[in-house]
Amino acid sequence: MKTRRDFLRSTILGASATWTVPMFVERTFADLHMGARDLATQPVTGKDGTILVVLQLAGGNDGLNTLVPYADDAYHSARPSLGKKEKEIIKLSDHVGLNGAMPFMGSLFKEGNLGVVQGVGYPNPNRSHFVSTSIWETADIQNRSSTGWIGRYFDNACDGADPTVGISLNKTQPESFGAAKNPGVCLSSPELYRWIHGGGEKAQAEEFFASLNSPEDDDNPVDGASIDMPAGGKVGGIEGESNLAFLERVAMDARVSSAKILELASKYKSKVNYEGTPISRSLNMVSRLIAGGMPTRVYYVSHGGFDTHNQQVNSHDRLLGQLDRALKSFFADLKEQGNDKRVVLMTFSEFGRRVSENASAGTDHGRASCMFLAGDAVKGGLFGAYPSLTELDQGDLKHNVDFRGVYASVLEGWLKTSSKPILRGDFAKLGMIG
Amino acid sequence: MLPAAPDEWTIQEAAHLLRRAGFGGSPKDIESFHALGRYKAVESLLAPTEPVDAFNLPAWATHDQALADMKERQEQFQEIRRATRDLSPEEAEKVRKEYRQKQQRTERQHGIEAQGWWFRRMLKTEAPLREKMVLFWHDHFATSLQKVKQPVLMVMQNELFRRNATGSFKELTHSILKDPAMMLYLDTQTSKKGQPNENFAREVMELFTLGEGNYTEPDIKEAARAFTGYSLNRLNGTVVHNKRQWDEGEKKIFGKSGKFDGDDVIDLLFAQEAAARYVPKKLWEYFAAEDPPEEGVDALAKSFKAADFKVEPLLREIFRSKAFYSDKIVRNQIKSPIQFLVQMFKELELESPPQGYTVNAQLQLGQVLFMPPNVAGWDWGKAWINTNTLLTRYNVAGFITKGAQESSQLADNGDAMMDQEMDKKQMRVANLLDRAQRTWAGPDYEKIAPRPLREDPEKLVDSLVQRFFQAPLGGKERGAFIEYAVSKKGAIFTNKEVGELCHLMLSTPHYQLD
Repeated sequence: MKTRRDFLRSTILGASATWTVPMFVERTFADLHMGARDLATQPVTGKDGTILVVLQLAGGNDGLNTLVPYADDAYHSARPSLGKKEKEIIKLSDHVGLNGAMPFMGSLFKEGNLGVVQGVGYPNPNRSHFVSTSIWETADIQNRSSTGWIGRYFDNACDGADPTVGISLNKTQPESFGAAKNPGVCLSSPELYRWIHGGGEKAQAEEFFASLNSPEDDDNPVDGASIDMPAGGKVGGIEGESNLAFLERVAMDARVSSAKILELASKYKSKVNYEGTPISRSLNMVSRLIAGGMPTRVYYVSHGGFDTHNQQVNSHDRLLGQLDRALKSFFADLKEQGNDKRVVLMTFSEFGRRVSENASAGTDHGRASCMFLAGDAVKGGLFGAYPSLTELDQGDLKHNVDFRGVYASVLEGWLKTSSKPILRGDFAKLGMIG
Repeated sequence: MLPAAPDEWTIQEAAHLLRRAGFGGSPKDIESFHALGRYKAVESLLAPTEPVDAFNLPAWATHDQALADMKERQEQFQEIRRATRDLSPEEAEKVRKEYRQKQQRTERQHGIEAQGWWFRRMLKTEAPLREKMVLFWHDHFATSLQKVKQPVLMVMQNELFRRNATGSFKELTHSILKDPAMMLYLDTQTSKKGQPNENFAREVMELFTLGEGNYTEPDIKEAARAFTGYSLNRLNGTVVHNKRQWDEGEKKIFGKSGKFDGDDVIDLLFAQEAAARYVPKKLWEYFAAEDPPEEGVDALAKSFKAADFKVEPLLREIFRSKAFYSDKIVRNQIKSPIQFLVQMFKELELESPPQGYTVNAQLQLGQVLFMPPNVAGWDWGKAWINTNTLLTRYNVAGFITKGAQESSQLADNGDAMMDQEMDKKQMRVANLLDRAQRTWAGPDYEKIAPRPLREDPEKLVDSLVQRFFQAPLGGKERGAFIEYAVSKKGAIFTNKEVGELCHLMLSTPHYQLD
């Protein structure tokens, strides 16, 4: 069987930068036919594959002021200054409503395309941003895994795919992309996502650059089995890989993906307006790459600032408003392209906040919170039960939905793959998709 | 004690120590460092002759000026209050907004100056280990300008790190509790009796002294009560313990009960076994390699405790140890962006970076001074590198080695796509970049690659390899460089072509390793 490096080398590295996507896709299929012994292996297509967008609300989103239990007296008494009044929210049921800063999400809910999961968390939650984020990204509540749940999806279900099977629009690689074989790529601006030579005799320089940035050991499968010096692959790396091998692999992935991404991203112009906020810009980029026909299955974007210990109201409402407007533009854009049926977006955050507000008109690190799933394929509605605000655990909401159940729903219902090897266990699906 | 290496050493080992305990250097720097012998070289790093105040602070960050500015701010604030008393709410808000914007502009400017000041200091200092330790503490007690907002407080904290760079970790932790920037960053100054804010209590245990798993949730809750009552005087930047805001009640922390205050809690932390291991492990990872073996950490922890948490003896032990110079450690650490930049400037013998460029480069590469991403500091090692940051490193190197010839390239390809979505902030950065690009002349290649050397491509390549890698390279790389150099050795081997060769050398996976 060919190794991934063989494959990439023979198909792409040999070709010039002007090779086209359809040719690439065709060859991917050819390669998969050869190597597809595992039934879990999925073809990656540029035309009609389903796409998952994972949107991180970084810093611990306050679920209580996002999905507001407005009818609960305990809510108002725990939050005298932060609590949302009934008239400030968008009612979803007799008990809960969305923060008023999210009118688009409200309309999506009414149209039946927003799934809201209530009371999501995991057993023995950890209140550290870093540990908890890591738990969500690795889907390992012991926090011992060196691969991420999305990376394991790539490894298990997208064998032989090119590096752009996953794209993170971040300067740093999310831990969820950590993989044994293919951790996807990462970029912040497609214009600068290439080697800029700028001198004379460009072609010649680029040829040398290419040879210097291809791994030497083309014959070794990238399975990390016999590398004598394991260096922690916790963040973005591959398990058991030396620093040099890691750098060589990233260098090759960068070269392989950069020309294509630059070309595709510049081809499509959104007809829809986006705000200038980072989250809007990121989703705009995702939409352009989808329109361009990238074979990407999972995009990852991040919206930060949710660590609201202090003077929460203004900042939290502002962040949710930015999110809402970004999603509004994004879904309108997808519709305009005709890709709206191919995309599901899922939000997550490392934890919710404490039920009671603190003395600085903010909230401290808590536990259970809510998740959103948005898209045409989503069966909208409320899932799980809203946790009790009176039966608390150390001042925190108790979770009643395990987040891995949401992941399982997305993996099986949307990405059409078995979730068990990826999540390393069976988790009840929620039925909001598929 | 870790087994020590002999005094005699190779030039490669000297280069290794200078890279890790400092920011590397030119071939000449390395030669004179090597001539000292290993032990004297280590001592020269630990006891530099350069005084702590060798570099003038930016004018606004000096003690007297900072005090005057704070007073002036207060007065202006009162003046605005007076002036807006009779205005309508809308008009008053407009006046306040104008004042705030003016203030923000000044602070943004000061922030950029502070970043440039520290970067230049790293580049020019004769006490490189001290600056490398300041960077270590900045990452360890991570505090960001983004929340603190007052650059003067960040510079004050930076000076605290410098004074205590290799001193007592315990004393430094006591000081950081009352450091204004840290207080604003972790909300200590709003934490009051009856309504404690847990932010500092949690992070001091998880991230500063003990590490995850060495304390309980009740320990945090009780400690948060002890950390109440510290308040920051915004008029003079001093911190006082306000007894009326302090929870004077009994607390139970790590099984001990008492009417603890913040300093008591810090003493309790340092009585925990985990405190002796936590920082030594991090120091080894910072200077040597990730995931040190348990026995190594045990040995360092023992020394650290015996030295009552003083850092200097610990560093001496690390830099003299045999393990520090082992094959698995030399040239096997991924450079941080700051290391990448400062070291590249030193290797290219550049006196100062192009105006405005380095902050932008830091931003693109993922490590901006005074702006760690969160209280855990930066993720190190492999986390610095992904497809995006690797290409950016190559392109940063291209600009630095080749200078202004790059500018049209960078400007051209962005325009079409960026105009639609570029916000004002990006615009400013782009303008800065543009200015840098028009004026940057690049390194002095007559010095780095003297004309006679260019007659022999093989010698030229070996000399440049020694400059950038301080170790022989694999046959594949060396061969490719020689082939390239031969192809350039036409009628005349110009500086431009040397620049291209240098760029190619720096555009390799190998160059990202130290």
